[in-house]
Amino acid sequence: MIEIFDPKSQNLELNVVPDKDYGTPASQSEQMISLDIDGYEITVPQGTSVMRAAALADINIPKLCASDNLESYGSCRLCAVEIEGRRGMPASCTTPAESGMKVRTQSGKLAKLRRNIMELYISDHPLDCLTCPANGDCELQDMAGAVGLREVRYGFSGDNHLDAEKDTSNPYFTFDASKCIVCSRCVRACGEVQGTFALTVDNRGFKSTISAGQKENFLDSDCVSCGACVQACPTATLIENNVIEQGQPDHSVVTTCAYCGVGCSFKAEMKGEEVIRMVPYKGGKANMGHSCVKGRFAFGYATHKDRITEPMIRDSIDQPWKKVSWEEAIEFSARRLQETQTKYGRESIGGITSSRCTNEETYLVQKLIRAAFGNNNTDTCARVCHSPTGYGLKVTMGEAAGTQTFESVLQSDTVLVMGANPTDAHPVFGSLLRKRLRQGAKLIVIDPRSIDLLKTPHLGNAVHLQLRPGTNVAMINALAHVIVSEGLEDADFISKRCDDDNYQRWRAFIQQPENSPEAVEEVTGVAASDIRKAALWFAEAGNSAIYYGLGVTEHSQGSTTVMGIANLAMATGNIGREGVGVNPLRGQNNVQGSCDMGSFPHDLPGYQHVADDIARARFEARWGVTLDHEPGLRIPNMFDSALAGEFKGMYVQGEDIAQSDPNTQHVEAALEALDILIVQDIFLNETAKFAHVLLPGSTFLEKDGTFTNAERRINRVRKVMTPLGGKQDWEVTVMLSNALGYPMDYKHPSEIMDEIAELTPTFTGVSYQKLEEMGSIQWPCNEEFPDGSPTMHVEDFPIGEGQFAVTQYVPTSEKSTSRFPLLLTTGRILSQYNVGAQTRRTANQAWHDEDILEIHPADAELRGISDGDWLGIRSRAGDTVMRASISERMQPGVVYTTFHHPGSGANVITTDSSDWATNCPEYKVTAVQVEKVSQPSQWQQNFRRFEDEQLEHLRKGREEQAQAIRVR
Amino acid sequence: MRTQREQLLVMLNQIIDNNSYDRSPEQTADATATHLQKFWARSMKQQIIAYMDEDGSELCETGRLAVQKLQSI
Repeated sequence: MIEIFDPKSQNLELNVVPDKDYGTPASQSEQMISLDIDGYEITVPQGTSVMRAAALADINIPKLCASDNLESYGSCRLCAVEIEGRRGMPASCTTPAESGMKVRTQSGKLAKLRRNIMELYISDHPLDCLTCPANGDCELQDMAGAVGLREVRYGFSGDNHLDAEKDTSNPYFTFDASKCIVCSRCVRACGEVQGTFALTVDNRGFKSTISAGQKENFLDSDCVSCGACVQACPTATLIENNVIEQGQPDHSVVTTCAYCGVGCSFKAEMKGEEVIRMVPYKGGKANMGHSCVKGRFAFGYATHKDRITEPMIRDSIDQPWKKVSWEEAIEFSARRLQETQTKYGRESIGGITSSRCTNEETYLVQKLIRAAFGNNNTDTCARVCHSPTGYGLKVTMGEAAGTQTFESVLQSDTVLVMGANPTDAHPVFGSLLRKRLRQGAKLIVIDPRSIDLLKTPHLGNAVHLQLRPGTNVAMINALAHVIVSEGLEDADFISKRCDDDNYQRWRAFIQQPENSPEAVEEVTGVAASDIRKAALWFAEAGNSAIYYGLGVTEHSQGSTTVMGIANLAMATGNIGREGVGVNPLRGQNNVQGSCDMGSFPHDLPGYQHVADDIARARFEARWGVTLDHEPGLRIPNMFDSALAGEFKGMYVQGEDIAQSDPNTQHVEAALEALDILIVQDIFLNETAKFAHVLLPGSTFLEKDGTFTNAERRINRVRKVMTPLGGKQDWEVTVMLSNALGYPMDYKHPSEIMDEIAELTPTFTGVSYQKLEEMGSIQWPCNEEFPDGSPTMHVEDFPIGEGQFAVTQYVPTSEKSTSRFPLLLTTGRILSQYNVGAQTRRTANQAWHDEDILEIHPADAELRGISDGDWLGIRSRAGDTVMRASISERMQPGVVYTTFHHPGSGANVITTDSSDWATNCPEYKVTAVQVEKVSQPSQWQQNFRRFEDEQLEHLRKGREEQAQAIRVR
Repeated sequence: MRTQREQLLVMLNQIIDNNSYDRSPEQTADATATHLQKFWARSMKQQIIAYMDEDGSELCETGRLAVQKLQSI
């Protein structure tokens, strides 16, 4: 790419392009200085290195150990320059630019020095450039060319590292030590960017080698396979196996990851229609060039042999599938839905939008349900994760979304992490948070388990409030109690920004003795002194921020805790600027978007209630139909209604309710009770095994659209390959709608976004053109905020004043008893994602190929349990069997598991207990008993039998088609 | 496994429990009825009202009041 130097620009930092490496990080100083480099006057922020200042003016000084996502290091010395009035040849990467400085980047002396350095490097480097996997993308090769290296005088017969062994333990990349120049970029990336510190330089001088852990291989070390080292490596030492096997990619497309709610931007680097590698995009404002093992490497599921590529139908679930054309599948679906409505009424069918699909696709599904089905029976997986966030934040602050950018955490002084495990579930944000913790921010963790964040290397002040599951509200109230009773409220903020009546009512409530740390000590199990310390840290820091996850929402009082969190932020004035705020960490890639797009049965897009006559009238006018003013059924209500014989048909796009929803046996019975179940998915997931129509879904690589991440950031998703099933998901919804007699005529998702912008007050300024110009937009984006809103509630709240809410602690009915003496809590792990449908079909299985039950040593000893034993886990909902892992991460009385593998049956145990306001299931508290067993549970045996049957039905459907093709 | 009616009663009682602090039964019933009106589906509202009309023996006093208010919205 040709970079054009624009001398008219005063601050060259405004011209940076993401694809160029400027050698050292940008300075954040607002003070500008000017210097002379090679005769050009260059103006940069104070603190900028000479190397970066030169690079900003497109004067590219040779470098090897420098990269602009790492602090300068000064080890390779290739970037030496001459500075007028100074002795020697200092490294430009470690030399700050100064006002009036005169720098020469080229001279005979410098050229000789650089050639000598390169000569030394190359004397211990294999000369196999033509067959090297990095050929064409090797900085060492580039620098040899740049400095004009023509000979290596030292020969290759002396001591060298050319026979060093390769480490191929990691399934995604290879470490070839023979090509290592020990520049330490990988070591620094692992520490500075990822924050894991798994790599080190072992030994000294000529014997220096890069070592994972204590001379372990990569897979056995602490390495989390984020890929930062691979990205940082300037040679072929650390390189993707895909590149080794298939060669360098020839083009790339910037798109958005489809895993967690961080919403990382990646360059999909391609050969033809094949993705060779996903490289985190430095221009992505959510991830700023970092990634995790899922987004970086686990994309192979997109072309896995299990992909459903052809539409299929059947009359009942005990029949084999029959492959049909798209037209026939859609006609069958529409006819069966209409027959169901004719027989059982308009409200007897509904649908579920996907939090993995794009905004445009989600918008279309809820539109289909409201306009073509004629009811509001639409819901989404946010029901079972962040619906309490929507409720709690809307009630208190007027908007159902987090208030900050991720980057905001770098200005926090105290960070409260509640019921979230960012280093596993939101790893790229976890790395950013760890960076801030290394810089000295205080950490408060409220969690029943000890999470990895508490083991952050170089962590300073931290307190772990290890509460009992189900006592979040008591804890959040106790923190607020201390703040009020110690007079630490931000009176100015409260008087200017919050409703006084509600504040006074809350203040009187929170001061009650039952909310004191001493009073809740017995309930929470946390020492009052620790609660008091945490409250003071939170209230007395300049900037305090709250980050929370499903450990807050998935409780019978999930919505109450969210309101308690908002109370805490408002009471201390931690709203409306950088470094503070209330930040729900969203689970799936587009949970925020699916909620924004009107997936909930009571909300039209933009959280406009269906009973709001003015809002509804606008939709009716645009959509040309009369809309129901009553809310529809939520997912759990749909199941109850199905079992009562009233709800008979469902269209499910990209969601696996049979695995992810609680009380599996209840869900399975409900799905079996349906007359027509249409599943649109990329695999035969657990829900699809109960379906009558299977429509091939498309992955994020096969479609255009947008995702909205946990920062409200709307990012573009760009199609890089043809959908394996022939259609993008939105095209299928359009077909179904037309078949149902409600016309849809979209030619491109941008047209759908235009309609969204027309009807949604917080999106009126959003368009594909604006997304192209800005890269991404954080809503609200409208007349008031034309360039979006990185920080919310700066001047006021959308509802005018902030509303304090009384948050009385009401203990859950799910209690440990003599029959079920332990409390089970569930969560997720770094290498797997949600129901695992994607990650289980990748090499991520190397890290976690089964769900296990973590149990405290004391509870294990009491039951005679050893590591690896098979355990029966029983609750009032059901029982299942998993292997034991004895872990001190747990507190006595609490056990933990994940739900990534369907056969483990984690959700057979979880119950129908749910949040009072939203019906979000209480996954985080289930009373259980655990004992050693020798065989799978009855449910697991049934599951395996049913799975075998359904796979056979699928195989027959595919085989019949293959035979038909052979006959033709 | 709970029946649909049992589940609705559990949900109703949860809403009451979470809206009762420092409120009279009348005020709690108001808040509960507003919540039901805003978030429950038509069929759920109809079922709880029908239950109150036909039997209602498992409704607590505030619950009955809330459903009556819901009926009159």
